[in-house]
Amino acid sequence: MLEMLRQYISGYVALTAEDFAALGDKIVVREFDRRQLLVKVGEVEGYLSFIVKGLARMYFLKGKTEMITNIAKEGELIASSSSFLSGKPSYYYVETLEPCTLLSISRADLELAYRQSPNIEKLGRLVTTYFVLQKEEWELECMRMDTRERFLRFIGNNPELLSRVPQKYLASYLNMKPETFSRLKNHIKKRPVAGRPS
Amino acid sequence: MTYNAATYQAALEKLHHHLQGYSPLSRGEFRQMEPFLEVREFDKRVRVIQEGEVERYLNVVAFGLARKYLPVRNKEITIQLASEGHMIHSELSFHYRIPSRAVVETIEPTVFFSISYDSLEQLYEEIPGFERLGRLMITDLFIKSDTRYFNQLRKSTRERFLEYVRNHPDMVRRVPQKYLASFLNIKPETFSRLKHLTRGKSLKG
Repeated sequence: MLEMLRQYISGYVALTAEDFAALGDKIVVREFDRRQLLVKVGEVEGYLSFIVKGLARMYFLKGKTEMITNIAKEGELIASSSSFLSGKPSYYYVETLEPCTLLSISRADLELAYRQSPNIEKLGRLVTTYFVLQKEEWELECMRMDTRERFLRFIGNNPELLSRVPQKYLASYLNMKPETFSRLKNHIKKRPVAGRPS
Repeated sequence: MTYNAATYQAALEKLHHHLQGYSPLSRGEFRQMEPFLEVREFDKRVRVIQEGEVERYLNVVAFGLARKYLPVRNKEITIQLASEGHMIHSELSFHYRIPSRAVVETIEPTVFFSISYDSLEQLYEEIPGFERLGRLMITDLFIKSDTRYFNQLRKSTRERFLEYVRNHPDMVRRVPQKYLASFLNIKPETFSRLKHLTRGKSLKG
């Protein structure tokens, strides 16, 4: 399990065996069934988690409608990230969609790890930078691409999620009506996606 | 404002003070940082980076006011407003070295402290305290952008307006109304109407 995390981290920074041990010491393995809430609106997010197995989503309620803002799978991080970083109550719910195995670290332990190693501090900076960039990219896509472009781009990048995530959630995540989503989906079944717009 | 050695020193002091708010940075560490800073001066309404250019700098506003916007179908969508002490640059372009899709434009005559990509990397290598400062500044940026994103999706026009006016009365005075309206994702007409509502009334209601 830790090997998967090591792989993920090596994409950001080269940690020494000592650094990695300092981090590994603080990580807890958490197992969840499907449909478990990891954090509720108003609670403070206690953990930053790396998904070893499973699938989770982040959402909030607008009236009675669930608005999904993130879907994360194996090899990705999941947390109500603003709440984790600020220590303030979460705006979002985080819920598992499939049974999940998570490698989690608490805010206090992560702070401790930052103080133990400059490399881990650097990892923290780079991961947070990635959060910012990902958010900016997402907002940009939402503003600049039309519904069809967003659909094609998402499916192109995450083909396996089409079969794993309930369609209404994907539609909500992509901010389109479920009918539009299923129309686009039927469309690509007939004509496989090739040369999608970058 | 005429920009000279004295105002430069004053701005540096302010920058140090502002950075202290994120992380204790000793005077020594701050002095080490100085040679990496470039001072860039712009008139009002100047595009500091255009769509299609690669962003060379991370900027911190020393004096003045700037905005970042996305040109979308003949419209400009303002996504960030930055006054003294705040960071503003085309992040995706700066980090991935790709052509920018955003434009950064000054609203008032503005002076930036700017750091190039290479200088920034060097700073992180050479000054131990800088890594922490960088992380905390980026964390703050993320929390602000997430809060704005959430507010736009979740809160009503009226709530967004009142909250902003309450928290940023100075910006309401300085930023042209159409940019504020765009930033808050409120139609200009609605924005004017809401502004009338606040006259002579307490905003607390």
